[in-house]
Amino acid sequence: SGELYCSLPNPRNVRFESINMKNVLHWSAPEGTGDGVFYKVKYAVYGVGKWIRKPECRNINRTWCDLSSETSDYEEQYYASVKAFLNGTCSDWMETTRFNPLTDTKIDPPMVSVSSTDRSISIILTAPEKWKRSPEEESISLLQVYPGLQYNVSVLNKKTKKRWFFSISNNTLVVPWLEPGTAYCVSAQIHVTTPVLDSGFSK
Amino acid sequence: GSCRVSMSMAEIRAGFTAIKANIQSRDPIRTLSILSHPHSLHKLKPSDRCCITHQLFTFYVDKVFKHCRTEDSFVNRKISSIANSFLSASRKLGQCREQNNCVCGEESTEKFKQILANYEGLNVTSAAMKSLGELDILLDWMEKSR
Amino acid sequence: GDALLPAPQSISILSTNMKHFLTWSPVIIQGATVRYSVEFQGEYEREYANGSWIPISECSLTTATLCNVTQDISASVPYRLRVRAELGSARSPWGTTEGFFTRAMTSLTPPQLRVLADGHHLLVELADMGPSFQFHVLYWKKGQESRVQQKVTREVSSVVHLDTMEAGAEYCVKAQAHVEAINRSSSFSPTQCVRAQGDTSLWL
Repeated sequence: SGELYCSLPNPRNVRFESINMKNVLHWSAPEGTGDGVFYKVKYAVYGVGKWIRKPECRNINRTWCDLSSETSDYEEQYYASVKAFLNGTCSDWMETTRFNPLTDTKIDPPMVSVSSTDRSISIILTAPEKWKRSPEEESISLLQVYPGLQYNVSVLNKKTKKRWFFSISNNTLVVPWLEPGTAYCVSAQIHVTTPVLDSGFSK
Repeated sequence: GSCRVSMSMAEIRAGFTAIKANIQSRDPIRTLSILSHPHSLHKLKPSDRCCITHQLFTFYVDKVFKHCRTEDSFVNRKISSIANSFLSASRKLGQCREQNNCVCGEESTEKFKQILANYEGLNVTSAAMKSLGELDILLDWMEKSR
Repeated sequence: GDALLPAPQSISILSTNMKHFLTWSPVIIQGATVRYSVEFQGEYEREYANGSWIPISECSLTTATLCNVTQDISASVPYRLRVRAELGSARSPWGTTEGFFTRAMTSLTPPQLRVLADGHHLLVELADMGPSFQFHVLYWKKGQESRVQQKVTREVSSVVHLDTMEAGAEYCVKAQAHVEAINRSSSFSPTQCVRAQGDTSLWL
């Protein structure tokens, strides 16, 4: 379809927001426009010669579009672009910077399960999974994506308020010889050495 | 053949990350890649890794960095840091290739020819800036195949 | 013009724990404030970029006689540095470092650490020495010097768990700083020993 004369202000702050490689395109509405703005989205694999429209994000009025499926190959890099429409006029296409799913994603903290005897605690850590299209699809742990992945574990004695740190590469940790009848709080963080990626600490 | 060369990937990665947005914004061509198309580095056989890594480091030292001078002092300093790290690493890779007699397989030779063809297909400044902007493609591949 | 302004003298690099500083003697011009500018050149610039020099903006037109060049001496190749004096439009000749500087020449000091015993647990806290550093922590039960154990950590400024101790036993710890980028280590810190809580404690 021929492009209309585009005098509408552009969508702003067009960027990918990615957690565990769930890659969602976000943007802000053009300056000074209220309701009634619609958007189209397209994306491109960097180095490949064509832009591809995203049908599910055609003529939408929300300001995000999930492109996880289209950007799931983390050995590739991507661009995405958004165009706004209002009352018969439109904006320019506004692009993201180049998106590298491997380095530009954020990682959730690991899942922490703790069991205890009267004098020790056993901690099992599970790295989050990479985003997948459907529950039936095979799960890929971020451990497989980032071979250098390690865990930082913090153990807080609630009585003495003393906090100990452990750095471990495997996903289990046993802390023996603890004070009976004392509450210990465990939290863990994922640390990837290169590319440098750190999750927050788990609750 | 395999080459275990100590190089500070973290330092190179940190230097590149600091200038990535600046450098990539100077490359308007979305539809061409020097390193990753038509064939991805990830498709190369492990046995070819040592050879192609040395060829790529030499490519960056010989052809790329010198054409990446910018008007931004901070960017120039980071490029110098990366270039000197690449020079140091490429020397070690060269020695390793000789000692281990890393033969360049047909596949990696073909891949490197493709990279040079992609590079020569653009004017030198565009090609150099695009190659520098693709450094994370090289680093990601190297770290993944460590 | 330039002939009046002599080049800075006594140019040298002070480097400790991977922090590198260029220093020089001040150029004294009565009643005037002399400023200085610093540039660096790595092996890449010498061999592939026509011997070009790169200015360090933080040390351009500075009145100090010291410049932190740590961010720029960031590869394991030989570097040269130079500094000149500037007064108004007058520039002195460049004063250049004697020979080359490679960051592997930095002097490494032993880490500062605090060893703690908390019940049966042997703990250590290491002072931050900068991003290039990791620590090799050695610990052993006193009297069993042949069975030394080692832990490598980057954790600083927090209490790191080393191991659990036998009740009432004394354990000793020492550590050295290691820089992977130059593959060098400091000497060991003095040994510190602590005693694990005995079993005749209130937990019975």
